[in-house]
Amino acid sequence: MDSLIAAAGRALAVGDALAALKRVALREDPPALALRGIAMAQLGDYPRARELLRRAARAFGAREAIARARCVVAEAETALAMRDLGGSPRALAEAAAVLAARGDRANAWQAQLIAARRALLLGRVDEAAAVLATLAGTELPPALAAVAALAEAELALRALRTASARAALDRAETAARRAGVAPLLAEAADARAALGRIAARLIRAGHEQPLRLDQVEALLAADMLVVDACRRGWQAGDGWRSLARRPVLFALLRALAEAWPEPAERGELIARVFRTRDPDDSHRSRLRVEIGRLRALLAPSARIEATAGGFVLRPRSGRRVAVLAPPIDGDSASLLALLADGAAWSSSALAQALGASQRSVQRALAELETEGRVRSVGRARAQRWLAPPLLGFTTILLLPAALPAE
Amino acid sequence: MSRNAHSPEPLPAQIVREYGPFDGADKIAGVTYDGHRVWAAAGAQMLAFDPASGRVERRLERAADAGTAFDGTYLYQIAEARIDKIDPATGDVLASIPAPGAGGDSGLAWAEGSLWVGQYRERKIHRIDPATGAVLRTIESNRFVTGVTWVDGDLWHATWEGDASELRHVDPDSGAVLERLAMPPDTFVSGLESDGAELFYCGGGSSGRVRAVRRPKTRAG
Repeated sequence: MDSLIAAAGRALAVGDALAALKRVALREDPPALALRGIAMAQLGDYPRARELLRRAARAFGAREAIARARCVVAEAETALAMRDLGGSPRALAEAAAVLAARGDRANAWQAQLIAARRALLLGRVDEAAAVLATLAGTELPPALAAVAALAEAELALRALRTASARAALDRAETAARRAGVAPLLAEAADARAALGRIAARLIRAGHEQPLRLDQVEALLAADMLVVDACRRGWQAGDGWRSLARRPVLFALLRALAEAWPEPAERGELIARVFRTRDPDDSHRSRLRVEIGRLRALLAPSARIEATAGGFVLRPRSGRRVAVLAPPIDGDSASLLALLADGAAWSSSALAQALGASQRSVQRALAELETEGRVRSVGRARAQRWLAPPLLGFTTILLLPAALPAE
Repeated sequence: MSRNAHSPEPLPAQIVREYGPFDGADKIAGVTYDGHRVWAAAGAQMLAFDPASGRVERRLERAADAGTAFDGTYLYQIAEARIDKIDPATGDVLASIPAPGAGGDSGLAWAEGSLWVGQYRERKIHRIDPATGAVLRTIESNRFVTGVTWVDGDLWHATWEGDASELRHVDPDSGAVLERLAMPPDTFVSGLESDGAELFYCGGGSSGRVRAVRRPKTRAG
């Protein structure tokens, strides 16, 4: 650690990136490269920042393992800020291991948080949850605690656990206030707004009612048969069954549930499920076949009885029936409702769930993407679609913690 | 190089006492000793504490990024790419000279009417004229040099390289390593100063601590 590096680090720590740059602008030794990289990241020039941090990591080499690992973490955070999610997470995992082994716990935790947020952005919800679980119970510094709580809030919101989401947001706000980081506080406030937004519609006996996220959660927790047209499946008691791969059966179930407690007419079912107003015998026999399949799947939750004019749903244990639908009608609303689970979907899986052609789904996705309402990762066959993150993912703020050679 | 071949085996450094971390100082760079108090460079300030009680007795609001030295009357402090001469009574900067490493400087010591400046990644120690900053001579080390101090005519410097720190007694003429004290793992030395007797005071970098290390008995012969 030399004098100008110390002076530049002092400037960076108080957010004066220009003052820091001024002191090390012409130096090419590894600590100076790292400091220049961090300063460029704070100034928003992420590509340049990454290049400098990579050069610094290479130049530190194996003998200065801690400094090198810190550069790797800083570069990973810069990549996250650029939403560049390609590339292998191995270097980051190795850096985290080095830092943990050498007792630099704060930066090791930061590396893990970056890995968790990366998994969230990639729609790897389980992986994100697993990483966050390893951090539970550690005494994180306030800024890192705020970031961890925000990631937990996002996971809870995706899984419709609004009480946990609220609790996580409370923790995030407390920690962000202690850290004195305004963008983290703003993020927590934004997430709170997401809790109050209309998330779905309840359709019950011909009436519609908008629901907030917590009301959706309450509905799913109630002892009812809920046919969920957002996630495409049904819930009865505590059992959830997905019909995302069976679009015809789901359309049938939804039509039966919307008609409940009355029967649904055969002609009406054929019109909705097979999309024809002019049924012939082949439609009627297909309907019988599909009803038979649905009956078998639904058996633990409900019976389907034939009536003179059609079919009626009879839930077990005298449960009542409700339908949960996306907040508005239409293909894009249905797509957004499916993506709300935070997972990464292929366009073929989305098409299958919606019973639509892949081409029309791709068209709708492209439109939503230009509006910024969905995003994609990967290319060609590996392309996957995701909802935009609920939270802003403030990055870069934490970089001064990665200052090398201290 | 020959001085590598004859480098003695390191002995473990004996840490006698730890001071700090101190309020408002999250890292310590240079350290020096004025006969009563230990002065430590702490980024945006210099602080002086009583080594018997550990209590901070003085604070000077002066940029203090690297090495610190005391010539019997005045303090010298490396800040950015210069060396400030500071009156410890008032905190006034009386003069400034350019640092020989142009900001790549680490440790600072006073001896024989000269300032001795460690140049960190260049692995060098410069002897400079305290009035002008002119380099009078240069000693090469084979490790990154942090703190520098003279005691009983012996030149010692601290190293911090490859995530490890040592205190080294070197021959000022040849640069040959005569004695080595290895700090415990993950204990780094930024600044170094002798108390003129039994102890070295070592600035502890981002640990925010100052550590007192026992000086080995003078070798026979």
